[in-house]
Amino acid sequence: MTAMQLLMKKRNEAINRILGKGYLATKRVYVGNATCEIAAGSDEVMEVFRNAIQRGLTNVYLSSKGCAGRCNLEPTIEVIEEGKIPVKYGRITKEMAHEIVERHLKKGEVIEEWVIEG
Amino acid sequence: MYKEYSIIICSGTSCQKGVPGELTEIARQVLLKHGLDQKTKISLSGCLGMCSKGPVMIINPGYTIYGKVDAGNIGKIIENHIVHKKEVTEHVIHEDHLFNRFYSIFGDMDFFGKQMRIALRNCGIIDPDDIDDYLSVRGYEALARVLTDYTPAQVIEQVKLSGLRGRGGAGFPTGIKWELTAREKEPVKYVICNADEGDPGAFMDRSAVEGDPHTIIEGMIIGGYAVGAKNGIVYIRAEYPLAIKRLERAIASARKEGLLGDNILDTQFCFDIEIRLGAGAFVCGEETALIQSIEGFRGMPRPRPPYPSVKGLFGKPTLINNVETWANIPVIILDGAEWFSSIGTEKSKGTKVFALAGSIKNTGLIEVPMGTTLREIIFDVGGGIPEGRKFKAVQTGGPSGGCLVESDLDTRIDYESLAAAGSMMGSGGMIVLDEGACMVNIARYFLEFAQNESCGKCTPCREGTKRMLEILTRITEGNGMDGDIEKLERLGRMIQKASLCGLGQSAPNPVLSTIAKFRSEYEEHVIDRKCRAAVCTRMLTYEINGKCVGCTACVKVCPTRAVSGVKMNVHVIDQSKCIKCGACYEVCKFKAISKQ
Ligand SMILES: Cc1cc2nc3c(=O)[nH]c(=O)nc-3n(C[C@H](O)[C@H](O)[C@H](O)COP(=O)(O)O)c2cc1C
Ligand code: SF4
Repeated sequence: MTAMQLLMKKRNEAINRILGKGYLATKRVYVGNATCEIAAGSDEVMEVFRNAIQRGLTNVYLSSKGCAGRCNLEPTIEVIEEGKIPVKYGRITKEMAHEIVERHLKKGEVIEEWVIEG
Repeated sequence: MYKEYSIIICSGTSCQKGVPGELTEIARQVLLKHGLDQKTKISLSGCLGMCSKGPVMIINPGYTIYGKVDAGNIGKIIENHIVHKKEVTEHVIHEDHLFNRFYSIFGDMDFFGKQMRIALRNCGIIDPDDIDDYLSVRGYEALARVLTDYTPAQVIEQVKLSGLRGRGGAGFPTGIKWELTAREKEPVKYVICNADEGDPGAFMDRSAVEGDPHTIIEGMIIGGYAVGAKNGIVYIRAEYPLAIKRLERAIASARKEGLLGDNILDTQFCFDIEIRLGAGAFVCGEETALIQSIEGFRGMPRPRPPYPSVKGLFGKPTLINNVETWANIPVIILDGAEWFSSIGTEKSKGTKVFALAGSIKNTGLIEVPMGTTLREIIFDVGGGIPEGRKFKAVQTGGPSGGCLVESDLDTRIDYESLAAAGSMMGSGGMIVLDEGACMVNIARYFLEFAQNESCGKCTPCREGTKRMLEILTRITEGNGMDGDIEKLERLGRMIQKASLCGLGQSAPNPVLSTIAKFRSEYEEHVIDRKCRAAVCTRMLTYEINGKCVGCTACVKVCPTRAVSGVKMNVHVIDQSKCIKCGACYEVCKFKAISKQ
């Protein structure tokens, strides 16, 4: 097996593991998790989503992510759904995260006021 | 407002063939006709690296990239894609570059529209703690390709062809550095990633390591293969605990997957990486000081030559590159050196990451193609100066750089043009200043930093910067003397010439560049004892004006009892007792204290 073939095998295994974690869920939620995001309070926000999933929220894939560079808008999160433009939220507190769970993740409502402008 | 559709039209120089704004206007008309104008966001991108197929337009959802778009066909493409939900196949570009994954999520935002994420392509879109995420976005494919198809010499050829230059500040051609290290015959060689990042306010490298550690690792393994090294070292400052943790974890999982260590991907090639922590001295970012520091000595630069490529760590040939430089390597292999070199200007290829800060609406970390203008960065990406204040200057290059003004805003970002305009690329700090900034004070700030960080080895840097700082301090305190400005210039030029390392050679830059562009402001400080921005507090006079109602708040708060007066009577400040602390100004609710 060449190095390339071996890598392809590893990639496929990796993709399968990711799929096994529920990547194909209707909604994927990415929560910022870099020094800057954490300083702005992203840990608490992550906790809200994690708890919601533990308490039975389904069809959501949760992932942490590095910093996308929006210093003044952190913590940031994205809700990504196939066939739709990803929704980008900024300056999310844990209270807002609760509401995102209830309104966006459960009912599919984009919460306009918190969508990042520009 | 959340929009259901997004149309991105390329505004790169080669895509702007017809009338500027024409395509955007037609797009708007078509959307209006179908009642979709409120639901669609039209935005402009910077160069997308597909110039030969331009003008380029991207429509989302679907992230379909259309090429050869013109006034005649744009309407039809938009109607078909958005209204009839059908791609116009004959215009679709099937080119998948690595930056697309990020752009497909964020490209519709004004902040990201003119950005192109190559080095930071995965930052903010994958889980940095999971090697599976990296593998799934073509991670380590560049390494596998190199090990399968390329000889070390061919790798170096690709890096040379790409035109990549060092992102740590000096901009030395990376391919040539690799070649110089590769041609040494020593059996033991080292590869180092410089993640010291000491510039005040810079956090590009930290963010890159935290957001996508595997990219750095992959770049370094490829570098090791190319120059014939088995040992890699990441030199990173201890102040970055999360980045270190991520990196450690990434190294461990790469080892577990057989991507690091002995017989990488079942080949004969062996390479491993360890981490060395720096204590946070700016000078330890300088390559020879960095090497001394790893060897266990005090971090002090030594004269070059010999360059590290000949005699580096433990006297062995050593390849040192910056974090961002390393992060570009996998892209050069996968997207191709030719593609990479199609982005940017004649002598500066690819992109550059900047930490955008200061008086600007969108602060943040940005990555733009070389050749983007300062104006585009500040006003399109950064969203301009907040609250209607006026732009005054932009400082680039941190403590080694200088200030550029309004008339420099159309400068295209690259190593040469920034230098020609009187500043430098540096490692990527970019601080925007508005009219409320005092240029003398800014210069003093950067010089003080360099002065504190001077290692003390050479007299011009150690003593010269100290004298410059004394002069600047007295100028900002209102005690400037005749001839001080000229003295600063003379000292500055002398320090530039006579210092051993880049720290000393560039320390006077912030001062010299502000004198060059804002001489009258310096003169006002020295001659008129005035700071027009009212920043240099020692020169201010606090006075009580007609708005005073006699509330005694300032009387109570003044630490030197310089304010006197009784209730209901206008108060007075005894200037001989006033220490310009500003306490009265802060406490007054009636704007009755004026400072000038
Ligand atoms: C005072 C001083 C500080 C430096 N700090 C850094 C740094 O923090 N990171 C870095 O990559 N390069 C730094 N450099 C540049 C390095 O000496 C070296 O040129 C660079 O790491 C080479 O990598 P590159 O070719 O990829 O840019 C510094 C140079 C000087 C003179
Ligand atoms: S120029 Fe300054 S920092 Fe560099 S070696 Fe000399 S004293 Fe040290």
